[in-house]
Amino acid sequence: MIKTVEKKYCQITNEFSCYKVIYTNELEVFVPHNQANKDYQAIQEWIAAGNTVIDNPPE
Amino acid sequence: MAISKVTTASITDADITTAKLAYDAAPFRNIIINGDMSIAQRGTSTSGLGSDGATTYVLDRFKFQVNGSVSTARYTVSQDTDVPTGQGFVKSSKIDVTTADASLNSAYYSFYRQEIEGQNLQYLKKGTANAESITMSFWVKSNKTGTYICEIDDNDNSRNINKSYTINSADTWEKKTITFAGDTTGTLDNDNGSSFRIFWWLAAGTDFTSGTLATDWESTVNANRAVGQVNLADSTANEWYITGVQLEAGTTASDFEFLPFDVNLGRCKRYCQKYIDPHLVGVNNSGNLPSRVGMNLPVDMRTTPSASISGTFGFWDGGATQNYTTVSAFFLNSTSIQMDWSGSTFSVAGKTNIQYLSSGSNYILIDSEL
Repeated sequence: MIKTVEKKYCQITNEFSCYKVIYTNELEVFVPHNQANKDYQAIQEWIAAGNTVIDNPPE
Repeated sequence: MAISKVTTASITDADITTAKLAYDAAPFRNIIINGDMSIAQRGTSTSGLGSDGATTYVLDRFKFQVNGSVSTARYTVSQDTDVPTGQGFVKSSKIDVTTADASLNSAYYSFYRQEIEGQNLQYLKKGTANAESITMSFWVKSNKTGTYICEIDDNDNSRNINKSYTINSADTWEKKTITFAGDTTGTLDNDNGSSFRIFWWLAAGTDFTSGTLATDWESTVNANRAVGQVNLADSTANEWYITGVQLEAGTTASDFEFLPFDVNLGRCKRYCQKYIDPHLVGVNNSGNLPSRVGMNLPVDMRTTPSASISGTFGFWDGGATQNYTTVSAFFLNSTSIQMDWSGSTFSVAGKTNIQYLSSGSNYILIDSEL
């Protein structure tokens, strides 16, 4: 099960790159913003269940 | 009297078998990928499975899934060398019950499954008057005899068909052949999404067993999906093996289509790629950290993949070396990957760096499974 989801950004351009997902078993997976990706689909379900993505964009 | 010529009357369709043909008349006829269980990129065994509803891949393309939120049953899924004698197989999948649940919650399910892209199924002509029957064949073995369910689920149209098979003799490899009728309702999407989901049920609560088994295609009713299914989870003595899985168009099962290992691996790499001690190339960014370190992928993936790393990666920029265990961001597409790393800094920006460590234990896993 998903524990946290955090948006990650490029160190060079500061553009959004992917989501970092941490599961309850502490596994870390980087997930693209892509509707056909099963992990992205799981993030959408996790958000729909009332959870919030961590977003700390670079300044 | 000798037959002077071969006619359709003198030889029946059923007598024309693959073994009698001088060539393989239907290459790549197996819809299932890794049906001989030979590919296991992620690893060969994972234990403690069954909690919190997670799905798990051990062998490539075959997913183990349970509703763990309602049961304490636990399993180990592994690649095994126990195979049917004399059939050419060298590997099987084994599902071993390690914590039993003899009294299942009504919502419990446990199954092994593979999902198939819709663009690989168009020739079945599903949803038309010419819809093809399809035949599943596989070898199976378990100490737990009785009725099991094999299901084909049309994920695009929420339809399914379910057939039972019987494990007759304990601890004995048996070949099962099941033919599913063609479905004239519900066309499959011609894309890279999941259109067929093939289930081998292992345990099911009454939510899935209380109806009438859907032996013909119908709109999905959960109660009709696993009627009669034995409970493999009822004892830690229970184990279930499968290999030689083939799904093909038509009403008969042909001999299993063995593919060369490299071809089989290449097909699996569309959905998962694992690189141990990968050769990566990037550049030190303005903060002196390895940036946009990446590689091209030898096989296009099904879609933009997810990625994870394990272990320590060592980078050399021609003047110094630094070790890293943390990726700050991945840049992913279906043909290449790149990473920004965080941790110790190099002393010079702008220099090319390469990943050089060969520990045998650090790896990148890229996943675009269905």
